[in-house]
Amino acid sequence: MPHSTSCERTEALTIDAVAHCTEFASAQAWQAGFAAARVDEVELVVEEVVANICHYSYGDRLGNVELVCRVADGPRLELEFADAGQPFDMLAMPEPDLSVDIDQRGLGGVGVPMMRALVDQANYRRDGERNLLRLVFHSNCRLAGPSQVA
Amino acid sequence: MESTIQTFANVVIVQVKGRVDHSTAPEFGSVLLPQVEGCAKEDKKLLVDLSKINYMSSAGLRVLMIAAKGCRKQEGHVVVAGMQPNVREVFKIGRFDMVMDSYPTVRDALAAISPAAAAIYFER
Repeated sequence: MPHSTSCERTEALTIDAVAHCTEFASAQAWQAGFAAARVDEVELVVEEVVANICHYSYGDRLGNVELVCRVADGPRLELEFADAGQPFDMLAMPEPDLSVDIDQRGLGGVGVPMMRALVDQANYRRDGERNLLRLVFHSNCRLAGPSQVA
Repeated sequence: MESTIQTFANVVIVQVKGRVDHSTAPEFGSVLLPQVEGCAKEDKKLLVDLSKINYMSSAGLRVLMIAAKGCRKQEGHVVVAGMQPNVREVFKIGRFDMVMDSYPTVRDALAAISPAAAAIYFER
């Protein structure tokens, strides 16, 4: 019988919010039975998303990010990020050209390609005054295997 | 974050251990970026040993990019070595293969960038 469990956490966007959200999502991924390497991939994406919400959605303002995690059959991990910042669709951000010479590259620009590489499904909608970003992770690793370092 | 800095001839090897994420990237930067100074041509080369790093997010790549740009300005050279498979994949997604050379091990890197440093390192 299909089942899912759900839990939720709201974080004020302080300097620690990225780490708190990452740890929270990571714990749910472990609970879903994901392998260590796939948990790392979930963490990489959550770090990108929360950092981007801080930077683009809220800008200089303080705000909250709400993260809802659902573990479903598959296993599958669904993450929903909600914030009350300005309209911001991370999925619509243009992918930077990372093949150019180092002098033409900015310091960042890796977040969007990273998310596209690691997430199985993603969608965004603006719901009233809130941004809602929903990401789905299946248990299969997208990248190379686990680290050799303890 | 544990780190060590060693010099072999004209090569400075910076090794960091653990996890480079949004929280620890500033510390990674505080270890690595001062070493960019004086990194020019054959005078001084920078080798970042990532063999003890088990997780690196884009915040870590950002630090590497700052180092690479700083070295480029001085006609200097920075390379990385020893990436774990998961870190190497992140490196590839960020197209950092276009930014700096990478080598499987520190020994390989030294052999490629400084025979003098390699000779000292191998004799240890």
